[in-house]
Amino acid sequence: MEITRREFLKSSIAATTAATVGMPLIQGAQAASEDFEADWQWDKGVCRFCGTGCGIMVATKKGRIVATKGDPDAPVNRGLNCIKGYFNGKIQYGKDRLTQPLMRMTDGKFDKKGKFTPVSWEQAFDEMERQFRKAYAEKGPAGVAVFGSGQYTIQEGYASAKLMKAGFRSNNIDPNARHCMASAVVGFIQTFGIDEPAGNYDDIEHTDTVVSWGANMAECHPILWSRVADRRLSSDDVKIVNLSTYANETSNIADTEILFKPGTDLAIWNYIAREIIKRDAVNHDFVDKHCVFATGPYDIGYGMRNTDKYAFDAEKDIMAKELEVTLTAEEAIAQRRKTGEKVKQNNTKKPVKHWLITYEDFKEALDPYTLDFVSQLAKGDPDESLDDFRAKLKLLADLYIDKGRKVVSFWTMGFNQHYRGSWINEQAYMVHLLLGKQSMPGNGAFSLTGQPSACGTAREVGTFAHRLPADMVVMNPKHRARSEQIWKLPPRTINPKVGSHITKIMRDLEDGQVKFAWVQVNNPFQATANANHWLKAAREMDNFIVVSDPYPTISAKVSDLILPSAMIFEKWGGYGNAERRTQMWREQVPPPGQARSDVWQAMEFAKRFRLKDVWGEQMVPGLEAEGFESGKLPDVLDKAREMGYSPDDTLYDVLFATPENRKFKWPDKVAKGHDNHTVKAGALDWFPEKALYQEYVQFGRGHEHDLADFDVYYRDDVRGLKWPVVDGKETEWRFNEKYDPYVKKGSGFEFYGKALKELPTGDLDKPTSKEKTSLAGKAKIFFRPYAAPPEQPDDNYDLWMCTGRVLEHWHTGTMTRRVPELHRAVPTALFYMHPKDAEDRGLKRKDVAMVESRRGKVQAVVETQGRDDPPRGYTFIAFFDEGVLVNKLVPDITCPMSKETDFKKCAVKVRKA
Amino acid sequence: MNISGILVVAGPGRLDTVKEQLGRLEGVDVHQHDPASGRIIVTLEAEDVSGEVEGLKRIKALPGIVLAEMVYHYFEDDPHPVSELPPELDEVDGLEGIRVPAALRD
Repeated sequence: MEITRREFLKSSIAATTAATVGMPLIQGAQAASEDFEADWQWDKGVCRFCGTGCGIMVATKKGRIVATKGDPDAPVNRGLNCIKGYFNGKIQYGKDRLTQPLMRMTDGKFDKKGKFTPVSWEQAFDEMERQFRKAYAEKGPAGVAVFGSGQYTIQEGYASAKLMKAGFRSNNIDPNARHCMASAVVGFIQTFGIDEPAGNYDDIEHTDTVVSWGANMAECHPILWSRVADRRLSSDDVKIVNLSTYANETSNIADTEILFKPGTDLAIWNYIAREIIKRDAVNHDFVDKHCVFATGPYDIGYGMRNTDKYAFDAEKDIMAKELEVTLTAEEAIAQRRKTGEKVKQNNTKKPVKHWLITYEDFKEALDPYTLDFVSQLAKGDPDESLDDFRAKLKLLADLYIDKGRKVVSFWTMGFNQHYRGSWINEQAYMVHLLLGKQSMPGNGAFSLTGQPSACGTAREVGTFAHRLPADMVVMNPKHRARSEQIWKLPPRTINPKVGSHITKIMRDLEDGQVKFAWVQVNNPFQATANANHWLKAAREMDNFIVVSDPYPTISAKVSDLILPSAMIFEKWGGYGNAERRTQMWREQVPPPGQARSDVWQAMEFAKRFRLKDVWGEQMVPGLEAEGFESGKLPDVLDKAREMGYSPDDTLYDVLFATPENRKFKWPDKVAKGHDNHTVKAGALDWFPEKALYQEYVQFGRGHEHDLADFDVYYRDDVRGLKWPVVDGKETEWRFNEKYDPYVKKGSGFEFYGKALKELPTGDLDKPTSKEKTSLAGKAKIFFRPYAAPPEQPDDNYDLWMCTGRVLEHWHTGTMTRRVPELHRAVPTALFYMHPKDAEDRGLKRKDVAMVESRRGKVQAVVETQGRDDPPRGYTFIAFFDEGVLVNKLVPDITCPMSKETDFKKCAVKVRKA
Repeated sequence: MNISGILVVAGPGRLDTVKEQLGRLEGVDVHQHDPASGRIIVTLEAEDVSGEVEGLKRIKALPGIVLAEMVYHYFEDDPHPVSELPPELDEVDGLEGIRVPAALRD
């Protein structure tokens, strides 16, 4: 390229960059940039990756994406992109993109031991239907399952959940969001009675204290972190604290870094709460008006199987703790018990139950959490002095308590992926509520999200084993009735029995309880802990696994049938981010080859089943619910007939192509010339993504989950809207009268969520009366004790290992590893360890180490410097790399309440490979 | 050829030194700056595509820099598109390649 052209390009790009971040343009540059983009078509989009929800602009030319840039008008990122976001345009063009269905076959027939062979969609669905029918006939609705996703578009999640829950009458649909958000959800529901964060990202500019707990925001939420960095630079009064178990990039601009021992965050929160009371800093006015105190049982196990029938010998000692725990000295102090006491885990079935306690009881429970006790328990770096660590904990309490200071606490997976993840979420609210620093600009506890629509789809749409749309649940007869009414189903169609959570679906495959599983928009065989069990289950058990994906992931490789999926800008869709912002995009380019959208796949599969196949009587072992016979779903075909359905109607007719939905015609002027391959492939005259969305919004309107109409999100002047959207206005801060239309006038604050708001009363150990009190409008302040991690380093497995993320790659690397630039930047997952620990094991930087836990082993390259700096005794490795499958090592220990896996704490031994 | 537009933010009082250091980096051109906010707009040109990522790393490593993020990426006319994939993904050579990798079988 000649020099003048290059210089011209550079000044154009500089001009666009400046304009994007809101800097005034150099004269003449505007025209230049317009000229070289003359034949590009720009449209707004959303980043495909994390839960931040950055707006991006996408340029297409001749059916291909040619450029992307940060959207200058997007309030989330204001024109910036992180390095992943910057490569959004390239993720669709990996060279191993799947473009046709592939099935394991021998001699032209399906064979579980056969080789992947290209088949037509027709053949693929034929076999899928046969296998589904076999499993359904043998095991009923509980014998089939869907692995769903926090990356589903709103419409995809809705279509899949409706097909499973209303069509197949199965609640065995659970998203990978279980692995990242479930503990946050339990925290929200338990505390406020309604899901999703109360605050929004503008809290960053309003606050003067940012405390990051168990979150490496600099690498995992870089754009939010750049806003935090900007805020920090604006004033020396702004303080930033990074609480972590190892030093990471987030410490770079932090004023204080606190390294604590895994699991002791439970004690640190209680120390802060104790200080608040001791220093008489409780905001009594706020607490008396808006809060109550509560607690629950401690003997709730660790979410493991309650049998070691399937266990490897080496993991049996840890699994025994599911039944009985011997208390450590610290647990004894923290739980007011005796050291060495053996505690039967009697509440593993009802870990969520809780009751009201008095403020006096709450105070008493916090009493053991003195600075002396907590600092000795929690100090995470053996090379730091106890005095230094004590001073930091005291400073942390000072910052929270300072009346003149606003405080935002951010967290992600360090809290949520925790054997007591729900407790630790509740504890964050405990401190913010005690201080009255919640639900107002610059003040609040804020759970960040890892996936682009974990909030907007997985949670709000209800793609979990227990959920229905808009925070409703399958166990509640009123919620089922309301869903049946909107979905136009006969009464008692919906199954009242909670299905299997995502880790249990894996266990069910291993046990032979689930015989058919469909993986949608996720990679569970790489992302689920204790992977050796599930890889074996996929390949060696009698079951049929379908994977819909754009790329041959590990899950695809161990499956029986691979369906090629369309990617983000090859279809219409919408996401909802962590600040409740719904954003939508148009189809920009066609999918390659025969790849098709997940909405199309769900609808096509639905055409294969008639009402008489699924709405007759069904066996559901263990089903016990009022109005249902034990172990059975009733035949609802007669009622269906009365409603005008025929037993020969297909699920496609009844669930998707309803008369109401077909009123949303395609073409639609909102498309502005953009195409819709779902419409084309189905030869439709209606617009399924719009119709499904408009059907879905009926659930939330008037129920605190209001969304605007489809077309609104496509307006040029809209960059997403934060729900609830009432009378066209978004809600900035929930529960705060000034901002939230659902709050009763004159109340100031109202925690109006309706779930779990009738409680018995008790003492610190148990409920003492059955009589229930209504807590309408109030939030709960929970006491939760310190409990020790069930697996800790010992003489044999002598190092901690934590798994997590790096800036350049996203989750299992399915997309980012296909972008050569990102792959080259971080080609493999490095095993970060302290140089002294490496030296003690005869290892140097760049050596290959064998890392082994009770459950498996992997090889990885040792790194002793760079962006992560673990203290002695601690190691870190990212999970994106399928060549270093770290989830073979991690136990499937979960928070017993949320069923979310603790990916952060496992014990390993390391030697030279 | 790859060109990125990058926003760099210099710490308080560091604007001039940061600008000078940026100017000395290969492939980096400083285009404009804003003294009030410490913001600098640079372009980064790299011989091949991966050089871009390396270049950003070099910018981030400079002393006095608070933030360096890519804003704009130009890749339309790349004459040497990098097709490198991780080796375990590159095993995928036609359909034969889609098999359970050795690493998953032990």
